[in-house]
Amino acid sequence: MDNEAYAFALKNTLKEIKNISPNISHAFFFKEEKILAKDENTDEETANSTVTAFNAITERTNAIGGLESVTFHGTSGKVNITCINDFYLATITSKEADEKYINTLTRVLVPTVLKLVEKIHPVSIDQDTLTTEKPEPTGDNNAGEIIEDAEVCEKELPMEETAAAEPESEPLLPEPPVNQLMVENLSGLLVPSDTVRIDSAVTAQWKDLYADKKIEKVDVETLNGKTTRCKFKPIKDPKHEGKGIIQIPEKMQLTLQTKKGELVTAKPVVE
Amino acid sequence: MVKKKKSTDETETTAVITDETAAPAVEEDRTFTSLRTKLAEINNCKGVLGYILRNATSATIDLKDPTKLTEYAILSSQALDSGKEISELFHIGDIENILIEGKDIKALCITIGENKASIFMERDAAHAGILRRVSH
Repeated sequence: MDNEAYAFALKNTLKEIKNISPNISHAFFFKEEKILAKDENTDEETANSTVTAFNAITERTNAIGGLESVTFHGTSGKVNITCINDFYLATITSKEADEKYINTLTRVLVPTVLKLVEKIHPVSIDQDTLTTEKPEPTGDNNAGEIIEDAEVCEKELPMEETAAAEPESEPLLPEPPVNQLMVENLSGLLVPSDTVRIDSAVTAQWKDLYADKKIEKVDVETLNGKTTRCKFKPIKDPKHEGKGIIQIPEKMQLTLQTKKGELVTAKPVVE
Repeated sequence: MVKKKKSTDETETTAVITDETAAPAVEEDRTFTSLRTKLAEINNCKGVLGYILRNATSATIDLKDPTKLTEYAILSSQALDSGKEISELFHIGDIENILIEGKDIKALCITIGENKASIFMERDAAHAGILRRVSH
């Protein structure tokens, strides 16, 4: 059942991503050779063929330290496959689509949703894929593996179980979400050196998540593993909203050994 | 029998392989030469680790770490093959370029006519600028 919850979450995440970005024509999640969730536009055969073509590349990426993402730019569209939380997300967009916006969206939204589902249904996605734990295997792998319809998942997902899981985790304080954000410079005379500024959409999410809890600090971690705990404020400029940006003072960038354009993760410190 | 010439120009590690029996179109040859010049310039940029340029008859390779040649060549060739398959699956037209981002290194594979260029660079190198320079 837990895996169905993941499948349901993934399926709905795809739906939301597509609602927000209509330029996405197809989207699906996969892990190794298994399709975990896909949108209605993508048929099983196409998704499987894509995974095969993608895996042929991953097998040859030792020289570049393993694969994180690959983007195929065609004359009339783009196909991007990115690793997110041990899954791969494939998105197919028109040529006009804003790649940065879509990447930011998927890299913030997907980990947040997964983290929430993990909190409600604590099961390791690493150990088993969604499909291998389906309750009643049909024997026909391909037919049984793919979650075809969100409505079906919705029906199968017992609400009582969700409700029952909640009291177990005490007054249900969700695990702080880890958001991947892109570094931008923060400078100026009146800028405190111990405070970062974070995309207001992300801080609003945190606020929603921990309605009556105090969040004043954030743990920032670079991809190299350097971490720091500092104060944060939301970015006020509406132009930056929803872009997945973190503005870091230069001194702190030096400490973290990061710079503008690089990715860091930010996790709220809930007190 | 195909006779192959191997000569070094540009840098010590650059290898130019030309199939002399083939007669490539003059225009194609001009594009190849122009690309080779651009790539040689790009290769001096910060963060760029080298390039592979090839078409049906010639190839130019200049890598800072020549021991990676085989792995890089196989990767770029596979990326172009997979790109073709994926392009057919999703009808995204001819593949113009492929960006492969690894944990340490990224590779930009560009197709210009019959010429295929693969540029290898550090993870934080500015690939967009490189793509613009090669494409124009």
